[in-house]
Amino acid sequence: MSVLDISDLEVYYETESAPAQAVDGVSFTIEEGENLGIVGESGCGKTTLAKAIIGILPDEGYVNRGSIEFDGKDLTELPDVERRRYKWEEISMIAQSAMNALDPVYTIREQIVEAIETHRPGTGRTESNEIVAEMFDLVGLDPERADDYPHQFSGGMRQRAMIAMALALEPSLVLADEPTTALDVIMQDQILKRIGEIQADINSSMMVITHDVSVVAETCDRVIVMYGGKIAEEGPVEEIFGEPYHPYTIGLKRAFPNIRESDQDLLSISGYPPELTDPPSGCRFAERCPMATNECRTVEPKAHHQDGLRTYCHYADEIDDGFRSRADDPKTWKDTEAARSAQTVAEVND
Amino acid sequence: MSKASFVVRRLLQLGVTFWAVGTVLFFLFRLMPGDPTAFVVSAQMTPEARQQVIESYGLNEPLYIQYVRFLENALTLNFGQSFHTNQPVREVIWTYLPNTLVLMLSAFVVAYILGIVLGVLTGWYRGSRFEKTTVVTALTARSLPTFYVGLIVLWLFGAGLGVIPMSGMGTAGQSYDSFWARIFTLDFLHHLVAPAAVLAFYYMGYPLLIMRSSMMEVLSQDFIDVCRAKGLSERAIMFKHAARNALLPIITAAAIALGYAVGGSVLIETVFGWPGLGREMVNAVLRRDFPVAQGTFMVLAATIIILNFIADLLYGYLDPRVTYD
Repeated sequence: MSVLDISDLEVYYETESAPAQAVDGVSFTIEEGENLGIVGESGCGKTTLAKAIIGILPDEGYVNRGSIEFDGKDLTELPDVERRRYKWEEISMIAQSAMNALDPVYTIREQIVEAIETHRPGTGRTESNEIVAEMFDLVGLDPERADDYPHQFSGGMRQRAMIAMALALEPSLVLADEPTTALDVIMQDQILKRIGEIQADINSSMMVITHDVSVVAETCDRVIVMYGGKIAEEGPVEEIFGEPYHPYTIGLKRAFPNIRESDQDLLSISGYPPELTDPPSGCRFAERCPMATNECRTVEPKAHHQDGLRTYCHYADEIDDGFRSRADDPKTWKDTEAARSAQTVAEVND
Repeated sequence: MSKASFVVRRLLQLGVTFWAVGTVLFFLFRLMPGDPTAFVVSAQMTPEARQQVIESYGLNEPLYIQYVRFLENALTLNFGQSFHTNQPVREVIWTYLPNTLVLMLSAFVVAYILGIVLGVLTGWYRGSRFEKTTVVTALTARSLPTFYVGLIVLWLFGAGLGVIPMSGMGTAGQSYDSFWARIFTLDFLHHLVAPAAVLAFYYMGYPLLIMRSSMMEVLSQDFIDVCRAKGLSERAIMFKHAARNALLPIITAAAIALGYAVGGSVLIETVFGWPGLGREMVNAVLRRDFPVAQGTFMVLAATIIILNFIADLLYGYLDPRVTYD
């Protein structure tokens, strides 16, 4: 059974000109106990998506269309007071940067107890303290240090404290926004393992948002690749990082060093993400895609389902080895970039 | 470093600061053009009589002897006698300082409570019409000279409507057993309300604007997002988390501003005929009344120095990140 069911979600931000379409027509589900990864470059809408799900969009952000169903209830329709009951108790978050995610003027204990008392008013002090001690134990922190202030903790400890707080109420869904980006690689690994263990223990689902492909590979069952506010491709981790169909996924995969073929060239995707206040009418990635045709630039691609993948690309169903090997070759991307800049120069000279 | 040794060290620094202020004051007044005895000795006096007066104030001694004597006396809080009235300086300060403090403190407390609350609200409701109106009002209040606003208030409510007294701290002919007996009378409050309101209106802008920008900075931090995700009520986020963090810069600002307020009360005291220390200080300088001027200036310096010290201690209490080293 799915914990979260998002369909055709549009999240916009008001700007001086047209609204910025940060999340545009996104649909997906998260199953019970499942870990879903969301990857994409900065500004692709992944953090906005998380904020919309938990209900903490900034004032200028709003859900324009679509639904966020949690446990069969559409959260976007609930009034604030009722929505608040779902926060933390059902959907909690591990914030982006451990450094600033805790209030500097209260102790860690006060902040965890605050969450408990807000949602379970009858809870006594002793019981709350027991939960704090138990959570500290779980994340590998000394319960004695619960009365420390955040600044007395190292970065890794703060992230552990954040995780302890996020899991204290045993929520059904945890949104982890770049849970380990601020940490060094060894700490990153420890923390990810610890999250996995606790999560299996309380059987919660998790949505991991990151631009680090290795984090997703390590923790997730399924991945969504987002580009320019839309889903580019979605599928099981092995497929997405095995033989994807979307040129963006293929490029992204080659943009990270591969441990088995360490001497292969890294690929760089030139250009910038589309302007979200005035998105292109065709495929959002067409501007930067070396395989793009006129159809790509004018017609929005529909979903193609094959091999367990959902791919938004016109050529997903006719992709062959030639197409894939060209998309997988850094030279193709470089040539396209050269051709485009030559064209730009020519236009300027005209 | 422990908190105790921090306090001790700061207290020692305090002593050095007082000495430095006293020394600067002493020499500055002696460098000032004009003869301090001009007001006490008249042209008709014989040179002998004149010399006698000068000697009686110790003004014939070499400067360094005068300086050492000044320091010795200052240690016992004895600032000498007024050249003008022969009244001991301590008594002069004792008479006028409480009047200034009552006026300043009541204006200050009102201004800071209002300013902080409005600052929290304007920071929270950024971009609303409420915010824009409040900020414009605060800036206007901050830009208008207090003596001008004071005069308008007097003209409108005093001379025009007759609802406030035109001058002074009490109705003539009343006498009271003590200072405390006096300030809790309706008559006193009636006299206090106009100058205090004018001052509060002026002071309010500063904490309001600081609090507002501090709030906006705090609200952009990640932990506010976490608070919202935790499902806390809007009021808990606004006051318990955002305002609590935003309050820190106000502490230092308030300490310095209050110090200046006690010194900068001259204009408002003059307009409203309030018998305060500021007015007395200006008169003392104009009359070259060194002892009174030195004494009043020392009191003002002490106010600023001590308030800063309190601010430091308070900061350490409010912000757990402060370390004492």
